[in-house]
Amino acid sequence: MIQLIEYALNGALLGLLYALIAMGFVVIYRASKVFNFAQGELVVVGAFLVWFFTLDLGLPLYVGLALALAGAAIFGLVIEPLLFRRLVGQSTFAMVMVTIGLLILLRGLVLVIFGPSVRPFPALISTSPVNIGDITLNRGLLFGGIFTIVLAIGVSLYFSRTRPGLRMTVVAEDHQIAQSMGISVRRSIAYAWAMGMVLSTLAAVFYLNGKSVTFLVSEIGFAALPVALLAGLESVGGLIPAGIIVGVAQGLAAGYIDPLIGGSFSAVFPYLVMVTILFLRPSGLFGWRIVERV
Amino acid sequence: MSMQPAGVFAQSYVRDMAIFRTWKQGLALGIFLLALLLVPAVLGARYVAIANIMLITAVVVLGLQITTGFAGQVNLGQAAFMGMGAYTAGALSSGQQWPFLVTVPIAGIVAALFGAIFGLAAVRIRGFYLALTTIAAQFIFVFAVLNLPTSWTGGAQGLRVETASIFGFVFNTDNRMYYLILAITAIMTIGAYGIVRSRHGRAFVAVRDDDLAAGFTGVNVVGTKATAFFVGAFYAGVGGALWAYYIRFVSADQFTLFNSVYYMGMVIVGGLGSIAGAFVGVFLIRAAQEILTAVGPSIADVFPALGSSVVFASVNIVLGAAIALMLILEPRGVMHRYNVLKRAYRLWPYPH
Repeated sequence: MIQLIEYALNGALLGLLYALIAMGFVVIYRASKVFNFAQGELVVVGAFLVWFFTLDLGLPLYVGLALALAGAAIFGLVIEPLLFRRLVGQSTFAMVMVTIGLLILLRGLVLVIFGPSVRPFPALISTSPVNIGDITLNRGLLFGGIFTIVLAIGVSLYFSRTRPGLRMTVVAEDHQIAQSMGISVRRSIAYAWAMGMVLSTLAAVFYLNGKSVTFLVSEIGFAALPVALLAGLESVGGLIPAGIIVGVAQGLAAGYIDPLIGGSFSAVFPYLVMVTILFLRPSGLFGWRIVERV
Repeated sequence: MSMQPAGVFAQSYVRDMAIFRTWKQGLALGIFLLALLLVPAVLGARYVAIANIMLITAVVVLGLQITTGFAGQVNLGQAAFMGMGAYTAGALSSGQQWPFLVTVPIAGIVAALFGAIFGLAAVRIRGFYLALTTIAAQFIFVFAVLNLPTSWTGGAQGLRVETASIFGFVFNTDNRMYYLILAITAIMTIGAYGIVRSRHGRAFVAVRDDDLAAGFTGVNVVGTKATAFFVGAFYAGVGGALWAYYIRFVSADQFTLFNSVYYMGMVIVGGLGSIAGAFVGVFLIRAAQEILTAVGPSIADVFPALGSSVVFASVNIVLGAAIALMLILEPRGVMHRYNVLKRAYRLWPYPH
């Protein structure tokens, strides 16, 4: 019984981490109607920025982290004029394809700038595990999970209650309508990417806490995908339940099914859960159901 | 659509629908094919190896062109479909000793059935959600390889594959493989042109442009999407089978999600919705890759920290920048730019 709870809780914490990474997808989608395939690479860029400012430059941890977050925001802001400015007004298909280009480009750039070697990642949170009774939890993931829940509520309120957030929501609904109402699509896209970059950097901090970073870390971007789809691409608040569902399912599969069939069933299981739920609810659990008119 | 030079008029519907509208087009194709046949004789062994990989990739990208370029369904599982074909061909040829002519179509069909599952998901799932569901194919593929009986897939060890042979003729050199791959690529290309011109091809384009409107005009939208995935994955499967016979070793890490992304990049650079564009995209990207491999050591002198990964890094930068530039400057790809140039040349000196 204790073991069941431990698998479920650790799974849920991992799921919340996926939710934090998926929040990068959702925030960018929610403010620009662009699905960002390069999310995993954004996490890598954020992780290397943290590594660069803390361990490489040798700045104090929190100063380095603040600088890294600022650098991440600037990096996000630069993406819009470089890639999206000329595409505003064209089909969103082209914009989404640009993110595939960005994925490949960033992977190359990260290799050229930071090199292929494995870099240590600073531990901002103590790496000793948390023990509650007989249950052992990863401290970084625990703090990350709590942080994700608070952040999701905050970002969700931002998009639904505040003026700037609502402006971004209009852009996500329709670029043309947004433009005609005097909302700058360009600015919305720029801010969206800056927010996405900052979120990705934070996700890297919790995920890699005390571990190491290489360009292969980007694979977590696609591992977090089921959470984003399950929640629905427009829903920030929905990421929390979706993350917990996926995480618990994965944790239990890793604990009980993997020893039986061997191999990596727990890696596939979130996708099976996702496809099943998408069949029942095609736009995720909390996504906008868009009624199309011809 | 293709514009004809001034003075070329079709006198009958048969002529209007002909593949070669003028004898010069046929001649150009003939010369091109002849040049392809002469590649092993004129160029060295190294170029034949490059050409083999290019042709195999072209078959796979051709399939992606049909799914994404014509039917408008973003597919990020193409490498997994290719792997499915490669493993099928590998397992049947070394395990069961089945002949090449049987395993290749079977590999195509196995991959196609696997792909059609994702097309059928289109019954309920649409748009981005569907595109992202195809990523699941990658994870299911790796899981299947590692968990199916080791005697079929070789598990994590990979799978050795027999040489291809047809009626006792063994394709055991690069040159022989080149002609075999070229022949199959030619068949697949003719097939692609046929599909695109057919009723199904028209349905693909209708669904791509607007699936609701297509549905209203009587196109079976779900069936069309499933067909698009079926056909695209069939091409991937055949390409995978050729890969298996050419490399003669198959393992799961030859077919990664990143490869799927690369194939997508080739389609974009070549031009979405153009069969020739698939070839142009493959050629340009692979050629860039080869050139960078050749000059890689001298780049490594400039950036010593990179070491051996310099080629991978620089290819990524070039391809990523190329995709972004193409989409920003010429979203319809190299082939469209070529057609524009051709038209301008024909009309010169008049602007219209």
